[in-house]
Amino acid sequence: MSHTIVLNTVGLSKDFGGVKALRELDLEVRERLIQAVIGPNGAGKTTLFNVISGVIAPTGGTVFFKGEEITDLPTHRIAHRGLTRTFQNLQLFADMTVLENVMVGMHHKSRGGFFASAIKAPWVIAEERRVRDESMEWLRFVGMEEHSATVAGSLPFGNQRILELARGLASRPELLMLDEPAAGLNTRETQDLAQLIIRIKESGVTVLLVEHDMELVMSVSDHVTVIDQGHKIAEGEPDSVRNDENVLKAYLGEE
Amino acid sequence: MKIPRIVRSPYAGFLLFSAVLAFLPPFLTNEYYLNLLIFIGIHAIIAIGLDLLLGYTGQISLGHAAFFGLGAYITGVLSAKASWPPIAGLVVALVGVGILAYIIGIPTLKLHGHYLAMATLGFGIIVQIFFKELDFLTGGPSGLVGIEDMTIFGYAFDSDLKYYYLVCVSLLLTLLLSINVVRSRVGRALRAIHGSEVASSVLGVNVSRYKVGIFVLSAVYAALAGWLYSHYMTFVSPSSFGFMFSIKLVTMVVIGSLGSIWGAIFGAALLTSMPEFLHVFANYETTVFGFILVTVMVFMPRGLLRGLEDMIIRVFKSLSDHETVKEP
Amino acid sequence: MTLSQQILQYLITGVTVGTIYALIGMGFNIIYNSTEIINFAQGEFVMLGGLLTVSSMQVLHLPLPFAALVAVIGVALIGTLLNVAAIRPVKDPNPITLIIITIGASIFIRGISSLIWGKDPYPIPAFSGEDPIHFFGAVIQPQSLWVMGIALVIVLGFRQFFGKTITGKAMMASAFQPRAAKLVGIDTRFMVLISFALSGLVGAAAGIVIAPMSMTQYDIGVMMGLKGFCAAIIGGLGHFWGVVVGGIALGVLESLGAGLISSGYKDAIAFGILLLMLFFRPQGILGRTKGDRV
Repeated sequence: MSHTIVLNTVGLSKDFGGVKALRELDLEVRERLIQAVIGPNGAGKTTLFNVISGVIAPTGGTVFFKGEEITDLPTHRIAHRGLTRTFQNLQLFADMTVLENVMVGMHHKSRGGFFASAIKAPWVIAEERRVRDESMEWLRFVGMEEHSATVAGSLPFGNQRILELARGLASRPELLMLDEPAAGLNTRETQDLAQLIIRIKESGVTVLLVEHDMELVMSVSDHVTVIDQGHKIAEGEPDSVRNDENVLKAYLGEE
Repeated sequence: MKIPRIVRSPYAGFLLFSAVLAFLPPFLTNEYYLNLLIFIGIHAIIAIGLDLLLGYTGQISLGHAAFFGLGAYITGVLSAKASWPPIAGLVVALVGVGILAYIIGIPTLKLHGHYLAMATLGFGIIVQIFFKELDFLTGGPSGLVGIEDMTIFGYAFDSDLKYYYLVCVSLLLTLLLSINVVRSRVGRALRAIHGSEVASSVLGVNVSRYKVGIFVLSAVYAALAGWLYSHYMTFVSPSSFGFMFSIKLVTMVVIGSLGSIWGAIFGAALLTSMPEFLHVFANYETTVFGFILVTVMVFMPRGLLRGLEDMIIRVFKSLSDHETVKEP
Repeated sequence: MTLSQQILQYLITGVTVGTIYALIGMGFNIIYNSTEIINFAQGEFVMLGGLLTVSSMQVLHLPLPFAALVAVIGVALIGTLLNVAAIRPVKDPNPITLIIITIGASIFIRGISSLIWGKDPYPIPAFSGEDPIHFFGAVIQPQSLWVMGIALVIVLGFRQFFGKTITGKAMMASAFQPRAAKLVGIDTRFMVLISFALSGLVGAAAGIVIAPMSMTQYDIGVMMGLKGFCAAIIGGLGHFWGVVVGGIALGVLESLGAGLISSGYKDAIAFGILLLMLFFRPQGILGRTKGDRV
């Protein structure tokens, strides 16, 4: 069964004035699979996400999404093409309600500019209702519909993580990148998260996952890429990677 | 225990407010209050725009007096020097200020925090210096005289009462527009930008376009207020449009309550009428103003409206908590 | 005067004024480095330095050097008072709140000053007389030399303090890593307090040393503070030598612009330079770009 490549990087590099966070990284993500990127601390995983999503510019190399180059595109344009992400250190809109957070997720899948909103054109009113209804659907998908009116900043941490995920889903991405979604979650919450990620894949969304939690990675991933010091050192199915010599050396250090 | 929040339709508040404004004049005991209300209305228009920028989108501007002054001077100069009718002056003022705000906004809104504050502050000071120095046009430091009274398509606003209603209509229009914008997709995008610029952009929000856009809008509001001011006073001078007035505008919004349009109006009313109360203190006016500013910001940083709201909620909470403990 | 002599004169004025801007900017940097706050009341320290010196001389009948010392210590104390009364009690220190608080404090201080000293300007006698020194066709006021000399002493003193003493290094540590600093036993609140005191000290010194040349008055603080902040930003906010470079650059460009183009636009030139820096090189001449961590 061959899946087409939806995202790939070619020779991606990022220098932070002396620290080489990414070194000639070649990565391929195939559609409708769950793919994980793992590696020891400081391996460059979050930098990888930041470069792909357009938050920072690479110092070398290119990024292709659905066959088209996105390397120099501004972040919001990349989002318009169907790629979005969540954040390791949570970037919720803390003063807005849960529902409003998800509604912002639908921003580029909805219409309504300044003038039409100012005069409250009838189609804007209808569009608002559609956005509100669909956002509630997403909250139902992740099981948070009863919190819709809660202010996001007051949610317990686990729910905040789920909210950020729901918000990302609301933008109907083809590729959803999750940056350490299990960080700070307990075992039970991590298991729920795993189920949710599988359901996301089943709904047709490709998932690229950066994670430290090995159980989560092994249980949900179809494919694992291991990077260390900004460079790919192994990839393949979870089991084959787990036993790879280079991977063990990277995590445990040279003996 | 959850306190039920009565979420009224914002239009109920708007209609109530309109009615109050419409029927207020007969109750005023002194002509002077009409004059004060006119100024409150003019300041409130600026404050609403500034709140959209500062409270909702989280972008600070310490130079908004410049846009107010530009609106006033553009229509003033066209009226005094070229006898243009006020309505034409309005169009030029709104468009001109809008374009200028757009040009200056693009590089300025790339900045954040103190850098943004200083850039807007610097811009404001530069504009005021031009008001003083371009004296062949603006009349220089002693000001511009000869601005025509307000007439719109032949109708003369030749009494304070008529001007009051003109200001009310302008304020209510801006208020209505702003309420609609705030409760829309645009309003959500602005608040999202305030919450997290990076998260907004990965969700497809064109952050810089919205930031510049709301900056331009707030500048245009200020220009409208400047137009109203110019034809009311029929005289403008650079000293009204300096750094201290920019600070006063920000204070109105912050003390009123950031991110609350009603708060902006409340803050404008409070700060415009405060000098009248402080007149009692005469020379102490500045000192008291500074003291109030610091005290409110230290103890009620969310602003007076929100602070009062929080206090009322706390009172309700303690009352209802007491009810569950029955005393014999 | 020939053109080149005029330019030399403008340069001399520019370096003198620029040194003052650098000193004031240093006050901003000290507080910014310890707590990321921009103290908009910094300019009032400058004003108070001059006016307190005047009062010490007139009321306490102290000779100038002692009056200056009293003033400097007094302003340092006022700085700590500002920190304790207006900054420490703040529960949610977001930039907007702090900007408004320090602006409010500056308005308050200005108001009190106008009550104590009125709105008239006051002179302070030049430290060593007013006989101008001739220098290649231009003149240097002896006070200019005092300005530069005292500034040099202060700059070197701070270099020594922040670079070599334990307290100074502790202050830098508190700025970079407050949590780590607390863990090794540094009292970060006290460090912030000291930073306000030092900031008051250097602001007052600037005000005293320039007063003989430009009079002192209750409202000179506003522009002085703003220009000092410009100097800091132009050189690189928080950067030690940056503010020196920025201040002198600002002073010189402002002076040349005022002399060669127009004096009415003097401040517009200064802020125009600031805007250009902010638009094209916000990290300043000597600053380095900071990356945001997401």
